[in-house]
Amino acid sequence: MHACDPYTPELATVKEVYQETHNIRSLRIVLNDEEKMKNFSYIPGQVGQLSVFGVGESTFVISSPPTRKEFLQFSIMRVGEVTQRIHQLQPGDQIGVRAPLGNGFPIESLKGKDILFVGGGIGMAPLRTLLLYMIDNRADFGNITTIYGARTPNDLCYRYEFDEWRNGKVDLVLTVDAEFPGWKERVGFVPTVLKEEAPSPNNRVAIVCGPPIMIKFVLFGLKELGFEDEQIISTLERRMKCGVGICGRCNIGSSYVCLDGPVFTMKQLGGMAPEM
Amino acid sequence: MTTTDIEQLHKLMEDALPELEALIGWQPGYDALHAAPAIARTPEEASRLVFNPFCIHNLARTVAKTPPPPAKEGEAPKKIGVCVKGCDSRSIIALIQEGFLKREQLYIIGIPCKGTIDLRRLMKLAGEDLRAGVKSARIEGDSLVVEGAKGSRSFPLEKVLARRCMRCKYPNPVIYDVMAGDPVIPRASEEEAHKDVDAVENLPVAERLAFWQGELDRCIRCYACRNACPLCMCQDRCIAETRDPKWLPQYMGLSEKFIFHFIHAMHLAGRCTECGECERVCPQEIPVTLIKEKLNRITKELLDYEAGVSTEAVPPFLTFNPEELGI
Amino acid sequence: MSGKIYISRDGLAAAMEKLSRTMDVWTPAASAKDKWGVEFALYEPGVKPILDRQSTLSPKKTIFPQVEPLFQFERTKDPEDPSKTLIRLKDRPDAKPAIIFGAHPCDARGFFTFDKVFMEGPYKDPIYKDKREKTVIASVVCRECDDACFCSAVGGGPAEKEGSDIWITPVEDGYVLEAITPKGEPILEGLGAAATSQQEAAAAKVQEEAAQQVIAGGMKMTGETAEFMKHFEDKAFWQSAIAGCISCGVCTFVCPTCYCFTITDEARDTEGDRLRSWDSCMFYHYTLEASGHNPRPNNTDRYRNRLGHKFAYFPEKYDGMIACTGCGRCIRNCPASINIWKIAQSLKEQADACM
Repeated sequence: MHACDPYTPELATVKEVYQETHNIRSLRIVLNDEEKMKNFSYIPGQVGQLSVFGVGESTFVISSPPTRKEFLQFSIMRVGEVTQRIHQLQPGDQIGVRAPLGNGFPIESLKGKDILFVGGGIGMAPLRTLLLYMIDNRADFGNITTIYGARTPNDLCYRYEFDEWRNGKVDLVLTVDAEFPGWKERVGFVPTVLKEEAPSPNNRVAIVCGPPIMIKFVLFGLKELGFEDEQIISTLERRMKCGVGICGRCNIGSSYVCLDGPVFTMKQLGGMAPEM
Repeated sequence: MTTTDIEQLHKLMEDALPELEALIGWQPGYDALHAAPAIARTPEEASRLVFNPFCIHNLARTVAKTPPPPAKEGEAPKKIGVCVKGCDSRSIIALIQEGFLKREQLYIIGIPCKGTIDLRRLMKLAGEDLRAGVKSARIEGDSLVVEGAKGSRSFPLEKVLARRCMRCKYPNPVIYDVMAGDPVIPRASEEEAHKDVDAVENLPVAERLAFWQGELDRCIRCYACRNACPLCMCQDRCIAETRDPKWLPQYMGLSEKFIFHFIHAMHLAGRCTECGECERVCPQEIPVTLIKEKLNRITKELLDYEAGVSTEAVPPFLTFNPEELGI
Repeated sequence: MSGKIYISRDGLAAAMEKLSRTMDVWTPAASAKDKWGVEFALYEPGVKPILDRQSTLSPKKTIFPQVEPLFQFERTKDPEDPSKTLIRLKDRPDAKPAIIFGAHPCDARGFFTFDKVFMEGPYKDPIYKDKREKTVIASVVCRECDDACFCSAVGGGPAEKEGSDIWITPVEDGYVLEAITPKGEPILEGLGAAATSQQEAAAAKVQEEAAQQVIAGGMKMTGETAEFMKHFEDKAFWQSAIAGCISCGVCTFVCPTCYCFTITDEARDTEGDRLRSWDSCMFYHYTLEASGHNPRPNNTDRYRNRLGHKFAYFPEKYDGMIACTGCGRCIRNCPASINIWKIAQSLKEQADACM
């Protein structure tokens, strides 16, 4: 194989598969090259390109934290051609991976701060990597509040580790859009629950990811609570191909989401071309 | 168009404009041998519209696929004005037949057309002389007269007109609200209109295959032919590009190119009005309209149908008649 | 010895024949019999170079082909567990040395845009780099400017040597060739007789005359980021600027600097290719996300991005460098005769008028 080739994936093996919701699966994969797996390092929020050979490649966030190195986890919603095929993969199957790509969360600037995670649906995937990283480095961060919502309880990902999050001193607020038999947590849209929770913006950074409509109203909510643009972080979605800033399609103005993102502060986004 | 004709056209536009959302016409292009589609909303903008043998674009495509949005949001849209040549008007008819356009929402200014110029034919004849600095060009009788940087030159029309115009049976708009100028005499008879297809069809099979292989091999899959077609209506969902499901490999082999062009043609069977835009826009000079001309001839022979001549007619593939004539 | 050589018009084929023994020789030739268009083709006996007319497609395809495999893959059965499928990725062949014989100065400069993106970013493109480094560019001084050209407005010129390795000057009955980079020197060795002083003088005169052509009214353009951003949300401006745009890929495919590509997999039986192929920002699918969301759903959004990329985003990212060589191909070949140069200028004029 050619050295330093940004297009050629590493081969990896699927180790475990979790059905998170009716259309979201998590894959735990391990690079076939043991040495590379051992030395694999990344920043929470960085992404990877997963390949199913013969079908294609798609971009997903590495949803496991770099503090847990036995595998790389990706959570994948079934929406298109590639994700359809990824959902058919079973333990033992081969997959290609190009990672880590993108910028990741600004970890250093978050240290010592109170943190507010606001996630919706599959949007929890990039937040989870950072959340677990913070739990594993709990002393470096202040209070952590997480508001996570989905349409129904069955649409929430990572249900198997909510207890672990809470045990890691995370104030976890779970909500679903409407009443549901057996549901004992909150009911209501994420922006509404945010308003009710009303976390203080003092020394706090809000990290938001979810469907565009949720993000839109959460941003209004955060503004009302007094969050400044530089206190709000989000991750962007764009169609990507090369993932290394060459192929051209994921630009917003002169920035490339694959290279300069996908993590941006609202302040950065405000300075970019209004083309979302 | 003579000076009087263009004055008449501007008068018609001026009269119609207050009742229109916008008027789609042609404006001068980057030199005297080019025009470009334009959207006029004010009398001043309308006064800049032109008509000349370089108004080669079929504006039915613009009005059907990228109509100008209403100037004021929320208000009921007024009619859209559109200037049409004979060929453009036939596309309008086909679009009305298929329900893509509504007659009552259009104000059609018909312009009899003496033919449009195929610039590559002209450049082949003129060479260096017309490369830059052309001041003006007009049709005079049977000639194109060009005032170039090195003086005036005259070219016989049959040497510089587009192939579609050489075989044109409908130079006068078939549907219109007003007509600008006097009708012109059609250039081609029914037989003459098919002589290019005949020429290819009369080739032995091996040569015919070689002809199409040679032509289609130059295709770069830019999809200009498809996008310029007023009747290609799948637009952004064309099977040439969708990946889910995926029909066409991304390879640039001859077979992929063949498949695309024949799918394009088959989807136009009984619909194509032979405006020739697919061929005109091809940067690789592939005579792609020929494929559709052949299909149209089959449609005519089997079903006695010609697309885009009557809004009342039902296109053969929009109906099912077990006792279909000719089959 | 000046190092300049002379090749007669009749001797051109023999020179190309000689070069083609050790390298791929790309030269502009008629795209087909009886066609007006010119296309870069691999030289073989019978190919007649056309050095005095711009090709329809730029020569970018010589280094950046319309479609090429990034790698090939093969599926095999795991001998230890036949229920499992293993994947093997195959090596790519190295690029062959090549020469583009008869580029125009605007074509040669087009690769500067590629170089920035493919070789100078945080990630390097090894396929492009390999070909680029092994390709020699021999350009012809341009005497064919027309009303769509604006090379000198964006930093080039009909006699601008930058970007070329060899400089070809047509003189009566032949060509004077001169190596202008070390890469070009070995190519000319033994390819022709040393040019006489008369031939050299004739070449100098041709170059001088070419350089004096007034292009785009002598205008100069710099990066227009501020003006562009002012008009970004001016829908009426973009709608009127591109009335008639059919959203096809002509402008991007003929362009010497448009480098955007897509990546797709094609598989047959047990093997397949991961392909890189030209994409066009004018296509709806270019930015269409799997969710169905499209940040650039309309042709105005897409055209704005194309113009912005060349005249605003690229200069912003790369020290003012405009990602356009003013070759005029997109203007000449546009089905709707859209004039990118005029639109770029009107951005500026309108911004000036506002001040």
